[in-house]
Amino acid sequence: MADVVANGVRFHVQQLTPPQGRSAETPAVVFIHGLVMDNLSSFYYTLANPCAAAGADVMLYDLRGHGLSERPPLGYALEDSVDDLVGLLFELGIDGPVHIVGNSYGGTVGLAFAMAYPSRIASLVLVEGHFAVQGWGEEMARTLWGIAFGMELEEARTWVASAGRKMTRMAGKADALINHTSLVEDLLTAIPLPREPLATLACPVLAIYGDESDVIDRARDLASLVPDFTLNILEGCGHSILMEVPDHLQAVLAWWFAGRNGPAPVYQPPARDLVAAHPLAELVAG
Amino acid sequence: MDADTILADITQMLGQVIGEDYLLEVDVTMDTAFSGDLELESIEFVALAGLMKEHYGAAVDFVGFLAGKDLHEIIALRVGQVVDHIRLCLEAVGSRG
Repeated sequence: MADVVANGVRFHVQQLTPPQGRSAETPAVVFIHGLVMDNLSSFYYTLANPCAAAGADVMLYDLRGHGLSERPPLGYALEDSVDDLVGLLFELGIDGPVHIVGNSYGGTVGLAFAMAYPSRIASLVLVEGHFAVQGWGEEMARTLWGIAFGMELEEARTWVASAGRKMTRMAGKADALINHTSLVEDLLTAIPLPREPLATLACPVLAIYGDESDVIDRARDLASLVPDFTLNILEGCGHSILMEVPDHLQAVLAWWFAGRNGPAPVYQPPARDLVAAHPLAELVAG
Repeated sequence: MDADTILADITQMLGQVIGEDYLLEVDVTMDTAFSGDLELESIEFVALAGLMKEHYGAAVDFVGFLAGKDLHEIIALRVGQVVDHIRLCLEAVGSRG
């Protein structure tokens, strides 16, 4: 099923079933991507298929306004994102606890979902997840304004036009989302997640962050609050670890879903001069 | 099912994803690269894979096919690699039964 309507919005959904079939023990894993230049393909290309091949029932979806989902003018607050997830799980008949893997803003959605619906989450994996603290919304909005402003520059327009169909379409979608929906306004009025309930969060949380990431402090903040919290820090990596080191993330997820037996896989950074820019890395902003 | 039939099926599904008009300008062959030649966005390739999954059903294992490839390999995929995978899966099912 590719299109699912929830909360009156059409969402692009992909479900991946394990090749060996489902059983009562098959874990359900939901992947949630980041903001604006991201969509479900970043997880589809990296972690989702290996996760399904290893025996999980996987669901990915494009957030409203992203990828191939509908882009309504309103409804981009964090609470709306959580409602959309709840609506999609209902429409798909997924009523048991799910494991959520969220990249960047997708992690924020997972965290807010875990706090609002503690009985419906089996575990949470934050890949460079944002933690909605005071000022978080303004920070995100500023980043998006930077993208929007950059795209308005003559040089950028010329470059996008010369870069072909793919880049023109991606730039057009980002422009529509930033300038023609309530996304930025909704971020500016974002309410920080309350800190107290995090201390009673029952589900295990795995957090994977680059040590050079601009949100590493959020991970350390969460580590001091959440009881069952595993922090996996990757030396020499920034915010785009999903695209930079997908193999390591695959290994950590396999360890996590297999019951955390033994020590967590440790990331071995390559020699600096061997690190090449990834073709998709620059596309994952949020 | 022979490679030509599968190639025709995939070309038709590509038209659904990126529009028949765009395909008029491109000749889709076994050597056509999804990203490099067709300029398929990554999310469009996902949509195409979803259509192929619906069309061929459980007989063709797309999860295993993509799980065995890294990011660079998926981005560099050519139509012929997918056609061959589908053909081999369908032959395996046929020979079993």
